[in-house]
Amino acid sequence: MDPAEVEFLAEKEMVKIIPNFSLDKIYLIGGDLGPFNPGLPVEVPVWLALNLKQRQKCRIVPPEWMDTDKLEEIREQERKLDTFTPIPSLYYMELTKLLLNHSADNIPKADEIRTLVKDIWDTRVAKLRLSADSFISQQEAHAQLDNLTLMEINTTRSFLLDSLNYMYKLRSNLQPGRSQDY
Amino acid sequence: MPCERKPMRYGHSEGHTDVCFDDEGKCIVTCGSDGDVRIWESLDDDDPKSINVGEKVYSVALKNGKLVTAVSNNTVQIHTFPEGDPDGILTRFTTNANHVTFNSSGSRVAAGSSDFIVKIVEVVDSSQQKTLRGHDAPILSVALDPSDEFLASSSCDGSVTVWSIESQTQVAQWKILQKSSDVSNAKSLCRLAWQPHSGKLLAVPVDLTVQLYDKNTWTHVSTLSDDLITQVVNVVVWSPCGKFLAAGTVGGNLLIWDVEAKLCIERQKHEKGFTVCGMAWHPSGVRIAYTDTEGCLGLLEGVSSSSPSSSSTVQSTKVTKEKNDYDDLFDEDDDRMLDEGMSDSRSPVKKPVMEEDDDDDDLMPATGRPRNRGSFLDDDDNSQDVCVSQDAGSVKLDGVPEEDGSSAILPAVGPAVSRPVYEGPMPTQPQRAFQPGSTPVHLMHRFMVWNSVGIVRGYNDDQDNAIDVEFHDTAVHHAMHLTNTLGHTMADLSQEAVLLACEGTDELASKIQCLHFSCWDTHKDWIVDLPKGEDVRALCLGQGWAAVATSALMVRLFSIGGVQKEIFSLPGAAVCMAGHGEQLLIVYHRGTGFDGDQALGVQLLQLGSKRRQVIHGEPLPLSRKSYLAWLGFTAEGTPCCIDSEGVVRMLNRTLGNTWTPVCNTRDSCKSRSDHYWVVGVHENPQQLRCIPCKGSRFPPTLPRPAVAVLPFNLPYCQTTTEKGQMEEQYWRSMLFHNHFGFLSSSGYEIDSEGQSQAEKEQQELLMKMFALSCKLEREFRCVELAEMMTHSVVTLAIRYASRSRRMALAQRLSELALEKNGCEEEEEEEEDYPQEEQMDAEESTETRMPSKYASLLKCIKITVFKFIKPYTLCISFIYCLTLKIKSFFIDTPICVSGAGKSSSSPAGQPRTTNVLDSMTVSSRKPTPLGGTSKQGKAPVLKPLAPKPKSKVLCVAQIQMFSIPHSQLFLPGMTWSSRILSSRMFSSDASVENVENRKPKTGFQLWLEENRKSILTDNPDFKEMDVIKEGMGRFRTLSAEERLVRLFLLEHVTHFLVTKSTVVY
Repeated sequence: MDPAEVEFLAEKEMVKIIPNFSLDKIYLIGGDLGPFNPGLPVEVPVWLALNLKQRQKCRIVPPEWMDTDKLEEIREQERKLDTFTPIPSLYYMELTKLLLNHSADNIPKADEIRTLVKDIWDTRVAKLRLSADSFISQQEAHAQLDNLTLMEINTTRSFLLDSLNYMYKLRSNLQPGRSQDY
Repeated sequence: MPCERKPMRYGHSEGHTDVCFDDEGKCIVTCGSDGDVRIWESLDDDDPKSINVGEKVYSVALKNGKLVTAVSNNTVQIHTFPEGDPDGILTRFTTNANHVTFNSSGSRVAAGSSDFIVKIVEVVDSSQQKTLRGHDAPILSVALDPSDEFLASSSCDGSVTVWSIESQTQVAQWKILQKSSDVSNAKSLCRLAWQPHSGKLLAVPVDLTVQLYDKNTWTHVSTLSDDLITQVVNVVVWSPCGKFLAAGTVGGNLLIWDVEAKLCIERQKHEKGFTVCGMAWHPSGVRIAYTDTEGCLGLLEGVSSSSPSSSSTVQSTKVTKEKNDYDDLFDEDDDRMLDEGMSDSRSPVKKPVMEEDDDDDDLMPATGRPRNRGSFLDDDDNSQDVCVSQDAGSVKLDGVPEEDGSSAILPAVGPAVSRPVYEGPMPTQPQRAFQPGSTPVHLMHRFMVWNSVGIVRGYNDDQDNAIDVEFHDTAVHHAMHLTNTLGHTMADLSQEAVLLACEGTDELASKIQCLHFSCWDTHKDWIVDLPKGEDVRALCLGQGWAAVATSALMVRLFSIGGVQKEIFSLPGAAVCMAGHGEQLLIVYHRGTGFDGDQALGVQLLQLGSKRRQVIHGEPLPLSRKSYLAWLGFTAEGTPCCIDSEGVVRMLNRTLGNTWTPVCNTRDSCKSRSDHYWVVGVHENPQQLRCIPCKGSRFPPTLPRPAVAVLPFNLPYCQTTTEKGQMEEQYWRSMLFHNHFGFLSSSGYEIDSEGQSQAEKEQQELLMKMFALSCKLEREFRCVELAEMMTHSVVTLAIRYASRSRRMALAQRLSELALEKNGCEEEEEEEEDYPQEEQMDAEESTETRMPSKYASLLKCIKITVFKFIKPYTLCISFIYCLTLKIKSFFIDTPICVSGAGKSSSSPAGQPRTTNVLDSMTVSSRKPTPLGGTSKQGKAPVLKPLAPKPKSKVLCVAQIQMFSIPHSQLFLPGMTWSSRILSSRMFSSDASVENVENRKPKTGFQLWLEENRKSILTDNPDFKEMDVIKEGMGRFRTLSAEERLVRLFLLEHVTHFLVTKSTVVY
């Protein structure tokens, strides 16, 4: 699974927009959207929000958690604890990237938010690496990590699994190529 | 302690603050390190007036409409109050002044600065200055004594100095403070205070205590302290009466002493323990305002009510043990004696007033000094003899403040001297005119209007004075940016135009500017000047028109293109206006409100082709002690208003234009200081669109506020129960679908689908309520509910009732159904009636004849019904029959004449004197009532016109009569079964659809249920036999009921038969 796919999944998240056009309910396979009233917030998936935004048909209301105070709090929490803290959105990284890239003008303190989210991300990924490291060095059979987001898992999955495989092979002195399947 | 500490509120940004009251005590004035002076009408004032006076304000003083501030640009400035216009610079220093203060008359200002200098300046002529040099460090505080003789100053050099103003020399100096290098390093602000009026005592905060110095001897008289004080005292203030002294400390303690008794009567702690750096006593002595170094403002309420009560408790103890505690008592007596001794012009006047107060003691709430004084006087009388004898000897140290005590009452009594104290309701300041959906005018960035069309923002800062117009729907028009050269302060926005207006100035007249962007020619805007001296107060836009309310109590109408149209006068000053389509809603001051209430009137005008006034200046209901916060129309055109308490009210056109509260936005608020700022109301879907504002009444322009949607909720009782909920839902639905009626009556297209859906929803709710009441065995309530149902739903209700084996209910309901049907017919007739009226006179003779027939027929019908009323089975049966036959025979003139004949016979009269008399009389009673209320009107009010419907009715009846006639002699059948069978005969497929819609009798329903079982028992039965068998079985159900029913059925049949014979 590459990041683009994760991002694609993230685009299904709902976000509030304030349309500047009027449209009746639209009926899509994924569900009904609308009705769109100018000036009245309505929930739509991110992909539609971005599309409308690009056509200048709406303003995007940033999700509640996309706020410097709340993110700072999460960052502090994340730094304080050894475990992963619950994150307000499972797609926080993707959403931040998408929304900030396309509608930074609708989000107050966009740069600060970008930095904060990056900080949180870095802290979490560092934790993830650290735990992977201790997992391997202690030769544990299994480990449990809570509150990880898809994107985070995705960053480490291929590398971790491959390396575990190789290590398994090395440790069991197996000839390369004999049992490739996990 | 009865003194109430109000919660602190944000006043200024963090840093040093100062506070004072205006002369009348109406406003609290604060200053802070943000450079603003704010004028608060009360602690809850969410929109204080802000005056920017500089970068930082160190101290503020206010007297006689002059606001003096010590500002960081080393000046002492004057501003006018309450306007806040700069009024020049009073004096300058080489660094900033730390404290400014007025003398008691307000003619002089003293200021102490960090450049070690104290200056005394005449307010009217700032060139007359006196400079006092002698301190060796920055001046902390200055105080002028009430006699204008002395000035006290405290300084960082550790000294408190008293100066003679005249000679500009030091009179006394006490080295009692801690030395420091600068004000910022000083432990205490060391605010000095002279005792008011007499100026006998100078209070100096020294470390943890307050020291009192005597003016005559310049010696230390006493020390006030309390165990609670753990940190340095910062500020001291005297109560206006001079009896009490309040102090605020660095640790946030607030203390009040009774100075004579040296008794600490009040101890309060700042809620967060911040340093109290400003204190002011309300002129009435009832409350104390204080500010802290975090920029917050607080209030101690009911201060005096605590003090008199405490002193009166002291009193009472004194009275009981007079001998032990003479001293205090005598002081009081001394006061009075001295008072009388001084006997200047005021004291005789004063006394009666006091006594009056005393009498009123129980009636009036403790408002301050007078009462206090009264209780003392009371005491005087008790111990008159003692006091006279001891009088001379009682002057001693404790007795120092006695003179002040006597004069102390003066300020409070002051207003009472001229007239007796007025204790009645106080008039409310009428609220100012405003534009709905706008934020206050004084803001630099504000919303001039936010409505369902778009947003108009006004910017008025240093670099720019501009207006931004933005549309929610960009399809209406693109966004506009205008430079606001005229200084517009009011705006309204519609799909067609932007209307702007400014108030006039000395040179320029008040102007109205309209940007008519939907105009098809090239001149998109027009400007109109109002006559000199007339200012725009409120404006609004409708469809194709604009309205402007002016200060001349006038409303001017314009066409959207700029043509002046009608003008008319308003009975009072306009508060605000709103327009929608052809409707104009005006709210104005109907009179003076009292005790915080506003007295507003409302007018609703229809401006279209049918010009008329819909609401003629009736009072606008608002919550207690609130003012109007928003006025407008729902998107569907129903007037709506919202008051400052957050109650949304909507006009109910179906209940005589009353206002129904539909929502309270404050219920949805999380905290007390949160509000919802409403931007629109929609009835379909039911939405209240508003902007949540944290800690304020209105939103800032940035960050751009997001709209939230609130549901409506009518304040019905017991909405936690299912019943209450459904009732609320039902009436909400009724109310919110009133607009269909209004729209269709004013010729708009309506969403008929939506309407029918709404009706369906309402009927469903009624049915649910009906079912609920049924379950609760509230049959009377069931009938009440059924009365609200439409005819077809009543049928359902009947079925429900009979299914749940509630025969009595079912009967009553079918009675009702019949009545309803009658009503419906009546209504139809009513609709036709006006047309009939328009008929020519020649025709009237012609029309009268058949109408007479019809009414006669009706009489028969009613009599018949009357007769058989309680036995609904029969009725509904007859009724079904009627309807069926109706569908068979459309019109036969013969029948009409026949009907006429039949009616000419003495219809039901003989029957009523029948064997059944006793029964019918008793049971008949409810019917004529119902009949006269609804049907009974018919012959009197409405000469029924000849028309197919009534004819059909006649036909129906005649036909109905004839059928039993033909069936009379079927052998082996009872009368009733014959009738029933006749009914069955006629019930062939062709009328099935008619039948389905109509109410059914209990037997029918029962039969339907049981038909199958009968058929299975006797498979070879024909329809007739099934019924017969059914009848038989039905009879076995309840013997009594059956008996009565049967008996009556027979009689009815008999009656009908006679009737039919008459017909033929």
